[in-house]
Amino acid sequence: MKSLKPKWIGLALAIATTLAVLVLQRDVGIARDETVYMSAGARYAEWWTGLAKLEHGFDGKLIDATFGGAMGGGGNPEHPPLIKLASGLSHRWFHDKLPILDELTAYRLPSAVLHGVLAWLIFAFVLELWGLAEAILAVGCLVMLPRALFHAGLDCFDAPIMTLWFATIVAYWRCLDGRKWPWQVGVAWGLALATKHTALLLPFAIAIHYGVLAWRQKNLWFSWRVAVGMAVLGPLTLFVLWPWLWLDPVGHVKAWLTFHMTHVNYNFEYLGQNWNAPRFPWHVAIVTTVFTVPTATLAAAAVGAGVWISKWREHRDRAPVLLLALSAAAAIGPFFLGSTPIFGAEKHWMAVLPTICIAAGVGGIWAARRAIAVIGRVPERVGLAVVGGAIVLAGLSEVVVSHPYALTWYSALAGGAPGGADHGMNRQFWGVAAKGVLPELERHPPGPVYSHDASPAWGWYQRLGDLTKGYPDAGGEGAGIAASKYALVIHELHFNRHDYMVWKAYNTVQPRFVLRAAGVPIVSLYVRP
Amino acid sequence: MKKRLAAAPALLLIVVALWEIVATFHAAHAVPDDDAWARAARALRETYKPGELIVFAPKWVDPVGRMHAGDLIPLDMAARMDAAKYGSIWELAIRGAHAPEVDGLTAQTSTDYDGVTLRHYVRTPAIVVDDALAHEPKSDGARPTLELAEVGFAPHRCWQIVPPAHGKVAITIPMTLGTKLVGYVGLADVFKRRDIRTPAELEVHAGAASVDVSAGVDDGWVRFELATTPGPADVTFVARAVSPDRLICFAAEARQ
Repeated sequence: MKSLKPKWIGLALAIATTLAVLVLQRDVGIARDETVYMSAGARYAEWWTGLAKLEHGFDGKLIDATFGGAMGGGGNPEHPPLIKLASGLSHRWFHDKLPILDELTAYRLPSAVLHGVLAWLIFAFVLELWGLAEAILAVGCLVMLPRALFHAGLDCFDAPIMTLWFATIVAYWRCLDGRKWPWQVGVAWGLALATKHTALLLPFAIAIHYGVLAWRQKNLWFSWRVAVGMAVLGPLTLFVLWPWLWLDPVGHVKAWLTFHMTHVNYNFEYLGQNWNAPRFPWHVAIVTTVFTVPTATLAAAAVGAGVWISKWREHRDRAPVLLLALSAAAAIGPFFLGSTPIFGAEKHWMAVLPTICIAAGVGGIWAARRAIAVIGRVPERVGLAVVGGAIVLAGLSEVVVSHPYALTWYSALAGGAPGGADHGMNRQFWGVAAKGVLPELERHPPGPVYSHDASPAWGWYQRLGDLTKGYPDAGGEGAGIAASKYALVIHELHFNRHDYMVWKAYNTVQPRFVLRAAGVPIVSLYVRP
Repeated sequence: MKKRLAAAPALLLIVVALWEIVATFHAAHAVPDDDAWARAARALRETYKPGELIVFAPKWVDPVGRMHAGDLIPLDMAARMDAAKYGSIWELAIRGAHAPEVDGLTAQTSTDYDGVTLRHYVRTPAIVVDDALAHEPKSDGARPTLELAEVGFAPHRCWQIVPPAHGKVAITIPMTLGTKLVGYVGLADVFKRRDIRTPAELEVHAGAASVDVSAGVDDGWVRFELATTPGPADVTFVARAVSPDRLICFAAEARQ
């Protein structure tokens, strides 16, 4: 019973993490990309359900119509299907069949659950290697990451890939124990591949780690089954989960990867400049991470890194610290090249966060234990709670002020959202903030609305009851503004042009209402005079 | 002593955490609210005279400033070529920021309204003799259109011309010149600037004077100036582009 206790703590933390995501996401608007993934997910779920019920077979045309088509089209073949399928099934089960969740929450449930899974994986990994207190603090730091919490509440791939990336790392590490059938690493990597293309970076971390262990053991084949398991089961899992690949495995993999290798550079503000073409500054990933991870967590992680360096001889057999470092390097490394697009910023290198949180857990508890040893009179639990609690509370304060506009939020080190704006950091993306303007809009008489970047989400807002039907989307930017009675402008540097288009059409520069996050403008509402 | 130092990392982490908690909530409430803006705007309205320039600082607070005082800002003022012709400038600013329009000027008055500072600047304005945007241009190719365009992420009224790829368009505008012609050129539309990376060229001829200006995708609103002989003259703007669909915007004022 005693040995079960930490596991129950881990489970409780995982469930709490998922619940926190599910509760918070209710206030978050609908991201432009989510609308695509939700629609595609519903279709994927319908196809798989039809297959399971033997309503149809493996008809190529139906597969292509459901999973394929043009890049950027409704089939969304530019992204692998796992999370879309999971969200589609979740919607089908928990909204349509068993109506216990609202429609949007049902779609977002898998991402929230996976964030809980990540909490569990971190807990279990740290518990095994460093201890219970370290595990609890590491999970506490994870849950109190405002941007990660935000992304976990969306029906997108950025938080899920963080989970499945780390799951692959953990699975690989466990598979190094000499087991005969190390299939877990292959399946985990396959699930990661079926989530997002960034999983292709994982082998770089794992291969180097494997190479170092092989060099130490002077045996390249010391765990060859792991390598084979990954090489075989990874692609196979992706193949099985993605019917579109069944039609033309090589051609469609090539099309998928070509899409991302030649992806258009979205506009993104960084340090006061709009970036939409390489070369991008080499320091984007560092500055953005420093500004979007709570400062106390970063400080604890720095201590933890110091502890790891000073105790480098510990855990030398399977070198978990080296693995965590390589995992972080593989996740964030490409963004130092200057050629990797920087739009989306930290969401694209979120797989670095488990390493930071684990380092913070180790560092915070190490510091607490040293202090307890010196002070003497303080019970260990109290000392650990004071230090760990302070770090987690600092993160909690960041979460509180970031919600629900976490993309506008920056940490205390940056000066919060206003400091981020002063530094010229990106204001937001995906049009999520539009939800905050809807109550203000409804105070005005009905009329067509130029909904700007929230256009793909507009119908959803109406369907979900966030906006009454009297405010239809007026259409795209030229004709839409001309036909509109109201206009939204979602503030990003490159969207300034939309202000000017509205000024010209409405003959005024004065918005009626400006939605702000911590005082920073995020959406303007214009009313035609 | 060495023993005490062992507690330093924990103490440091606690201090950092406490600082973060305080700093986070402070930052979240560090921007003046609508009441402060309304008070500052009321004070502005009491002394503001039409034609005086109103600016906001920092730039990111511009939408809030316009919400409170935008009715005093005509479109032409918001989309001005530059601020030189304004002798009286009102600045509504927060967080100690200053607008670039008041660089080098000293405020005549400065009053704080719960974090929104209203400052008034007075200077000798540039005397504008004529404005290229006020005349109908002649063109040897595509016709320019009068636009309120985004150039360098700022609004500017300008003549917009799209030369053919590897070609040029000459636009002639009859103007009354002063002692100098001051103008700006830039590439409109951030998406065009992203997708078409080549620069554009603008050649300006005013009497015997001429200047060549290059505007690249990251150059914004590029200033040019020519010394001119006062009196009526045709001013010719020759726009060149390597790529098709290059939106070149320019404006010019004849000044004394």
